[in-house]
Amino acid sequence: MIEVAGLTKLYGDFVAVNELSFSVQPGEVMGLVGPNGAGKTTTLRCLAGIIPPTRGAIRICSCDLAQDPIAAKQQLAFLTDEPRLFDYLTVWQHLNFVARIYQVANWEQLATPLLTELEIMDKRDKLPGELSRGMKQKLAIACGLLHSPKVIYFDEPLTGLDPIGIRRMKDSILKRARDGAAIIISSHLLHLVEQICSHILILKNGRKVMDGTIGEIRSRFAGQADLEEAFIRATSESEQKLSE
Amino acid sequence: MISALLYLRYYSFRNRMVARLKRLRQPKYLIGAIVGGLYFYFYFFRWMLFPRGQSGPTTMAPSPTDAVLTESIAALILLTVVLLAWLIPRKRAALAFTEAEIAFLFPAPIARRTLIHFKLLRSQMAILFTTLLLTLISNRVGGGGRAVIHAAGWWVALSTLNLHFLGASFARTMLLDRGISNWKRRVIVIVPVVLAFGVVGVWAVRALPPLTSDDLANLTAIKDYARQVLVSGPLPYLLIPFRLVVRPYLATDAIGFLRVIWPAVLLMLAHYWWVIRSDVAFEEASLEASQKLAEKVAAVRSGNWQAANEKRKAKRPPFVLRPVGWPAVALLWKNLIGAGQAFTLRLWIIIAVSVVAMLLAMQGVGGNSNWLGLVGVLAATFGGWALLIGPQIVRQDLRQDLPNADVLKTFPMRGWQVALGEILAPTIILTGVQWLLLIVAVVCLTQANHEGLPGGLVVMIGLSAALVLPLLNVILLLIPNAAVLLFPAWFQLGRDGTQGIEATGQRLIFALGQLLAFVVALIPVVAVSAVVFFLVNFVTGVFLAVPVATIASVMVLTIEAGLGVMWLGRLFERFDLSVEQT
Repeated sequence: MIEVAGLTKLYGDFVAVNELSFSVQPGEVMGLVGPNGAGKTTTLRCLAGIIPPTRGAIRICSCDLAQDPIAAKQQLAFLTDEPRLFDYLTVWQHLNFVARIYQVANWEQLATPLLTELEIMDKRDKLPGELSRGMKQKLAIACGLLHSPKVIYFDEPLTGLDPIGIRRMKDSILKRARDGAAIIISSHLLHLVEQICSHILILKNGRKVMDGTIGEIRSRFAGQADLEEAFIRATSESEQKLSE
Repeated sequence: MISALLYLRYYSFRNRMVARLKRLRQPKYLIGAIVGGLYFYFYFFRWMLFPRGQSGPTTMAPSPTDAVLTESIAALILLTVVLLAWLIPRKRAALAFTEAEIAFLFPAPIARRTLIHFKLLRSQMAILFTTLLLTLISNRVGGGGRAVIHAAGWWVALSTLNLHFLGASFARTMLLDRGISNWKRRVIVIVPVVLAFGVVGVWAVRALPPLTSDDLANLTAIKDYARQVLVSGPLPYLLIPFRLVVRPYLATDAIGFLRVIWPAVLLMLAHYWWVIRSDVAFEEASLEASQKLAEKVAAVRSGNWQAANEKRKAKRPPFVLRPVGWPAVALLWKNLIGAGQAFTLRLWIIIAVSVVAMLLAMQGVGGNSNWLGLVGVLAATFGGWALLIGPQIVRQDLRQDLPNADVLKTFPMRGWQVALGEILAPTIILTGVQWLLLIVAVVCLTQANHEGLPGGLVVMIGLSAALVLPLLNVILLLIPNAAVLLFPAWFQLGRDGTQGIEATGQRLIFALGQLLAFVVALIPVVAVSAVVFFLVNFVTGVFLAVPVATIASVMVLTIEAGLGVMWLGRLFERFDLSVEQT
């Protein structure tokens, strides 16, 4: 579903992402974790077609993102931590706009339950400026999910949500995965990653430090009970290797 | 405590300046700074440094009577400004701080009076900058050689006014706290002012010879009458406080300035004492004001200057957007909603029909043909201006949407589709304005019956222009949109925004660049259409030559616009905002 081979992104001489390869299958939820500046967001931006990679290939649902970006983008959604909305479109107009962009013919039948599920149906005629941060986040999620994407990227998906919103978001992510979507979540919240991800990829300085299932990652650090400790060990070891 | 606040101001200012200087290492800012510096030098500083230069602005030394008149007029303007500060506002006193200042200073053990001092200190930065600007302008347009006097005069007047605004806002709040409503306050303020002017009016009627109908047609007679009202009778006494404030600016020499500066400074100090002695709770209102300020700053930093000045309301869409169809139409739909209710098709048709009906009705009841001709020429001229200046004003395109570039890039659309969708809204809006002006011009010029072009030819030229204008708009809009993608940092998209002399230089460069690009784009159009026009005119005559040449122009313009949109799309596909922000 998501196939990445040799993804590299350079900014001048600076290597933001270095020879990254991995794949995420339908129904899998991969956690992309790493310290600040590891290259997580750059990776997601490359995977979403926002910025072109310097080298490497990305395939979304068997469509090459560079060769056939329209078909690839039709299948994906990218939900960022900072919701990017159009100041002068209401909640409902946002969905109408997105429906036209993604050619969702029955959008009204989909939008109503989606807004109800996200508990913003009563805000359908409000502008983003009239919504709280959490509501904006929910609207961005509704826009992202309207076209039923098969590939979804979440960048810090829980930012700005209240406890109930967090619970619903987790349930929603797992439901999408059960329905066959391939999902990548970038987050610093390791307990979230531990709860909902089937796989993990640890990045540091743009390089893949480690990847595998949660169980595999833990098993590499015998005696470490939680992911947090494993993460700290993994990233410190990579630092030691670099300094050597 | 004030030393900590001084530290904050000093280092904020110093670091901002250092950051700006460091920015000059980038060629785009350095070139902008050089061009901006040259502009300021040639337009302002040269006249200040060489005031006696032959080509400099003429120094206008007013006669003593004119000086009194000027002083009284300036005092009247000041009185009006001060009155408005008492009459218009309805909210409680609020000192606008930044969100960071609120977060750090409000919970800190800082006395309210110290916060006011901090606010006054910050106001001084703005006042000093405004003083510099006004001195440059006032020296440029006249009165060269008195730069220091002008600067000191502006500073005293602006500082006093600033203190008065602050004191008035505190006084308004205190009145509200004591149960005196806004309307009661307005009545309390306006009644004595009306009475005072009534006294002046009665005096003028009794003491001065009335103006005859001949006098009303004579500017000198009106001026003399106004001078007598302003310089004699009760008005000069009523205006004394205001005259004291404006006098330093109007001083003609250093000795005169030293003579009049002290009363003005004393008045300013009295205002300072008034403000500092006021003990009004402004914190709660300041929180709201600061939030609004932060929203405005965020809007400006994201490039959305219009949003910074408007209170947003949900707007009705211009048309029903069907879920299936060409995706670029969604961008047009979105941007037309952003443009507001003023740009619906129905509204434009109503306006056009009303204007034409009005013009025809005026002609029908014996309207003056010269007047109609003048309106026609004016409409055509405004249409030309709308073509050249419109793309700078109507910005519902990539210039507004670039902060959302990440979202646009995830859409399953080709770059050229995004580019075309983005520039469609301003193209339609500008074309609507230009067509309306064109209709007015054609109707007026055909009805004017003047000895110029025959009516049929005017209609034909109008129709040709109507065909060509949308394509010209597309080409003109491509230039600023491409510039945004090529040089996003020059369009105030960075987190720190672009300010200062380098920003002025950058704008000048872009204005010239756009003009040059437009001229270059027109060369093939003009060449092809001119050849076609002369050939067809030679064979058949002008009535066929105009439409055939227009078709040739439209074809060339369509090719140019199409290539331009493809190029803009390529630029958009390659554009990476994150590179600009690093």
